[in-house]
Amino acid sequence: MPDHDLPGRSRPVGFGNRFLLYLELVRMEFVNNLAYRSSYFTGIFNYTIQIGAYFFLWDAIYSGRRAIGGLNKEEMITYVIVAWVARSFYFSNLDRRVAVEIRDGKIALELIRPYSYQMVKYARASGEAFFRILFFAVPAGTAIYFIRPFGLPPDWQAGLLFLLAVTGGFVINSQISMIAGFCAFFTQSTSGIFRAKRVIMDLFSGLLLPISFYPGWARDIIKLFPFQTVSYMPNLIYLGKITGGAVLHVILLQLFWVAFLGLVSVLFWRFAVKHVVIQGG
Amino acid sequence: MALIEARGLTKEFRIFRRREGVMGAFRDLFQRDYTTLRAVDGIDFVVAEGEMVGYIGANGAGKSTTIKMLTGILVPTAGSVNVNGFIPYKDREKYTRGIGVVFGQRSQLWWDIAVIESFKLLRRIYNVSQEEFKARLKKFDDILEFGSFLHLPVRKLSLGQRMRCDLTAALLHNPAILFLDEPTIGLDVLGKAKIREFLKEINSESKTTVILTTHDLGDIEALCPRVAIIDKGKMLYDGSVDNLYAQWGHDKMEDIVKKIYEGCKPEQYCMIENWGDTHA
Amino acid sequence: MSKQSGFRQDAANHIIIFFHYMTQYIKTKMAYRADFFIYVFSDLLQQSVNLVFILVIFTKVPAIKGWTRDQILFIYGFFLIPFGLYSGFLNHLFDVPEKYVLEGELDRVLLRPLNAWFQVVVETMNPELLIGTLTGIVIMVYSGNAMGLVPTWWDFPLTLVLVFGATMIYAGVYTFLASLGFWTEGNMGLMPMVYNLSNYGRYPMTIYRGPVRFILTWVLPFAFAGFYPAAILMHRYEYIGYALLTPIIGIISFAFSYWVWVIGIRRYRGTGS
Repeated sequence: MPDHDLPGRSRPVGFGNRFLLYLELVRMEFVNNLAYRSSYFTGIFNYTIQIGAYFFLWDAIYSGRRAIGGLNKEEMITYVIVAWVARSFYFSNLDRRVAVEIRDGKIALELIRPYSYQMVKYARASGEAFFRILFFAVPAGTAIYFIRPFGLPPDWQAGLLFLLAVTGGFVINSQISMIAGFCAFFTQSTSGIFRAKRVIMDLFSGLLLPISFYPGWARDIIKLFPFQTVSYMPNLIYLGKITGGAVLHVILLQLFWVAFLGLVSVLFWRFAVKHVVIQGG
Repeated sequence: MALIEARGLTKEFRIFRRREGVMGAFRDLFQRDYTTLRAVDGIDFVVAEGEMVGYIGANGAGKSTTIKMLTGILVPTAGSVNVNGFIPYKDREKYTRGIGVVFGQRSQLWWDIAVIESFKLLRRIYNVSQEEFKARLKKFDDILEFGSFLHLPVRKLSLGQRMRCDLTAALLHNPAILFLDEPTIGLDVLGKAKIREFLKEINSESKTTVILTTHDLGDIEALCPRVAIIDKGKMLYDGSVDNLYAQWGHDKMEDIVKKIYEGCKPEQYCMIENWGDTHA
Repeated sequence: MSKQSGFRQDAANHIIIFFHYMTQYIKTKMAYRADFFIYVFSDLLQQSVNLVFILVIFTKVPAIKGWTRDQILFIYGFFLIPFGLYSGFLNHLFDVPEKYVLEGELDRVLLRPLNAWFQVVVETMNPELLIGTLTGIVIMVYSGNAMGLVPTWWDFPLTLVLVFGATMIYAGVYTFLASLGFWTEGNMGLMPMVYNLSNYGRYPMTIYRGPVRFILTWVLPFAFAGFYPAAILMHRYEYIGYALLTPIIGIISFAFSYWVWVIGIRRYRGTGS
């Protein structure tokens, strides 16, 4: 496009072009990760060990019992495996990456670029996520299936809706990470915040325990937050525990949170950029 | 017996080649394909007490490998090495009490703690008495002037400041030999001058033997009466700098060294053994 | 100077220097007071996750394979004690293959007149992680109380011996893994795997199947770092044989690993890096 080639002329980058840019970033990140694929192999094994601990534990917990928290043993084991396999790609390092860029002052460079800093970050996270799905989640899931077969979705609809919900979960998780990363604008010691975020996610997303296990009062509080839409609800869709109209409700809830968190992060960003001195190197 | 005496010092490395492709990786598991690289090839190096010797060579010529063997980090493949009455790689813990080492690129100090605390830790490690510690710190401070940043952690120091601290750290225990690897790298003119002044001082006053590895020929010009040049593992020249000037005229040191690399062999001034006699 | 007194003086020297390093660390961490408290706080957060997990499970079931909530908590509490000691003091072994071997930081270590392993370990300490040990003690006391456990007089020295043995096991396992870095170039990613496996020691061995139990007992003896010693302190004397083996396994594991370490150093210096 001739307009963009003119030096010194600042023209707003067209929406279409920007979209292509993000797409390109997704592809780039994917390719970048290919270089590290050998380390993924040990990572899969590592993951299996982690999940293995839970398998034994739940196996022992359920011995002789029918159902706990609305799930029987098979469902629980499936739940755990699906939750961890999904986590392997929606898991995000965005919080740390953003914090590092803020601390290094690199963020100042990003501000003068004609794209949205956040969208770029999300695009790259997506690229990495695609990679992890192909090279981590799918092989890990398959490997585990051969070691210890777990349940599959009751029908193709549930499977598809599960994938949709997991994508929503990915977006929400990335947004939460991004917002956590922005805390670096205001404090040097972000490690505490990140640890807290990880703990909260582990506890309330449904990864560690299905939310149905928690006492009533805790469930009521958790309902007010987006966390359980990241793992718990998608997992239940997978298991066929949430069907029909209820699934729609989950998707809408996720959309709501995506919008809400998007707004929060944009506001946070604007506020931070205006009021905070960007730290030098 | 000279302070440093290395004869026929040789070091060979096995460089493993990674075979291509999956089949290659598989075969690599059982039998590795390697070539032998002679980093240091039969070097003789004799240094008397109180000398200041420059050691230069291109990257990969074998400089650091020689120094690593002299400091006890590496075990030679062949040849003998005797420094300060020890075989460096045996008795490592005893031998290292008598040497000081400064790496230009890496600090020996602890990153997060105040410099003075690093010094105090080193005092403990090297068993230096309180009085001697205080005395030496004061003496070094006179030239190096680190008093103003003594209480800062190393990571907050500029390169020049860090180098001054590293030098101090290396000399706190009054070692017989000081090995320096690129001590003036990245420093500005004033920084270099200060370091050189300091090195001259400790060499002449404390009779500390100094082996100075450097790419900066200005260092050699300023400090070293003797220079050793290594290339591809072999010693090309080991003798006085004056001799080089006598042979090639007072050209820039750089040009002289270039000529030597290109194969012009200078005449040795005198046998290394007699060095001490004429250059006391 | 005779060999005997030389060794003793050497060891004393190392111990003195250890305490100096320690004071240094505490001083530094204290200087960044905010960071210090945040570390402690986030460590406690991590513990709380594990605790929440156990507590919530036990609101739904009365026992896991015969083990009650307080018993499981007790085991977890004991597990945290040597684990805290390991995290606080020995964690740096993780960095050996990458930082020390591949990047050559070991050279700097070899130039100092101190034992190389000691230097690596002591160069980075996290004494604030001893909060884990403290938490473990608190949990042990609380759950022991809750189950009506009355300690006998020998339980106290026994605890010390068992904690020592358990810590030796961590030291041994991670020294061994660190030493592998001398042969492989850089990390093989083994350490995170083993780290995850160590968490299996928090639970009773009875929940694990045969081969896994075998590995946790005789190959990577993490069962001795958590379950077996805790069981004996709960007066479950059917495990006494295992429990008393703990210090022995610890010593053997460390002795073996240190030997591998020494060979590794020799290799590093013989063929270079």
